[in-house]
Amino acid sequence: MTAITAESIMPLADAVPGTASPAVAMRRLSKRYDERWVLRDITLDVPMGSYLALLGANGAGKSTLLHTLAMLSPATRGGLCLFGESAARPSPALRARLGMIGHQPMLYRDLSAAENLIFFGKLYDVSRPKQRALDMLERVGLADRAQSVVKTFSRGMTQRLSIARALMHAPELLLADEPFSGLDVPSVRAVSALLSELHADGKTVILTNHDVRQSLELAQRVVVLRQGGVVSDRPVLDADAEEVTREVIG
Amino acid sequence: MTKVLRQIALVSGKDLRIEARSRQTLGLVVVLGVLIVVVLGLGLGPQQVASGMAATAVLWVAYLFGGVLCFEKTMAVERHDGALAGLMLAPIDRGVIYAGKLISNLALMVALALVVTPVAVVMFGFDLSASPFGFAAIMAGGFVGFAAVGTLFAAAVSSTRLQGGLLAMVVFPLSLPLVIASTQMMARLFGEGEPLGSVGLTVLIAFDAVYLVVSWLVFELILEP
Repeated sequence: MTAITAESIMPLADAVPGTASPAVAMRRLSKRYDERWVLRDITLDVPMGSYLALLGANGAGKSTLLHTLAMLSPATRGGLCLFGESAARPSPALRARLGMIGHQPMLYRDLSAAENLIFFGKLYDVSRPKQRALDMLERVGLADRAQSVVKTFSRGMTQRLSIARALMHAPELLLADEPFSGLDVPSVRAVSALLSELHADGKTVILTNHDVRQSLELAQRVVVLRQGGVVSDRPVLDADAEEVTREVIG
Repeated sequence: MTKVLRQIALVSGKDLRIEARSRQTLGLVVVLGVLIVVVLGLGLGPQQVASGMAATAVLWVAYLFGGVLCFEKTMAVERHDGALAGLMLAPIDRGVIYAGKLISNLALMVALALVVTPVAVVMFGFDLSASPFGFAAIMAGGFVGFAAVGTLFAAAVSSTRLQGGLLAMVVFPLSLPLVIASTQMMARLFGEGEPLGSVGLTVLIAFDAVYLVVSWLVFELILEP
């Protein structure tokens, strides 16, 4: 199979007058672990500034797809472009346009909340990282715990700090892999409000989630994955929660 | 170039800050190193201790086992809570992560040597004043090469469940040329009072250069979040 490059995807995007390159363009993206295909021929465009929810049962391939989009592991075959640039050999500038919230917080337990954010801010060349860290802590409601080490945080606090880490460098594309799992109700509300704020700011958000109704409330478009392939892709306005749930369950 | 150096300093500075706060690695490594020197020193008895080769070999055994623990622990920090994925998402070359980890490991090994070496001096009767710079040069050459290999394979092994045992099994054989060269040079330096030859040092430097360059190049391929 021929890999799709930035050059071959760009004309597709430019063919529609007034539209820029999509934030994400996947062409027959496939991923295999050992002998098992966990992603199969996924072809999707995610326009800039959109909010997409990826739904699917456990093992459907949601997290693998987000890891591939984050360029943490390469696709086995097919093509992936982010902001019109091939993800095969991503430049540092391309990486800097991405932020990710994962199953794990991607934080250092023995560093304080502020130290974690300042460290990542400096890695991303954020100007005035200390001030930015304090601003982000304020935004996620952790300003009073700035000097506390992360290992003393609850799950909800750690998740909010993880979001602050992912947003330190103001990414244009945020990949959120089940950001609500294990959170209590107030934390779920806080995190979903943060994601909606980001979308309102014009950022592109791709969210994986198990909660169909919540996803339909938050996102603009919903894509259902099953056994590594796309089984449905529609705007949330056309989506019925019961029908989407049936698609998820299969 | 300045940016890369700054990024390397950030990564290693973060590791050392975590170590300074938790003190998990250094305490363990130093105790292990001292125990190895004392137990083997007492076990070998006064006649063997008097032999320069046995004494320097014991010292290197302490450095090797302590070093492997350092490599494991500094990489384990990245495995907790998926921190490595956070580093890999950042707009930095993978080589920066390698170099940062290497420097952290070297700093810990130097700290280990600062405690274990005086113990060995007392146990084995080394006269460091005879050639302190020669000793420092051998240590530096040996440590850089050993840490270069250890840092690379610690990253590879950390994603497996075997970890500790596997890392030692991989790193020790690969480090054998360095250990042999370092031990023999040190034995000649202290046992027989020979000055440090340029050939031995060249061998050390050549190993270091090969290990460093190859490790920098392949680190990207073995790193998994």
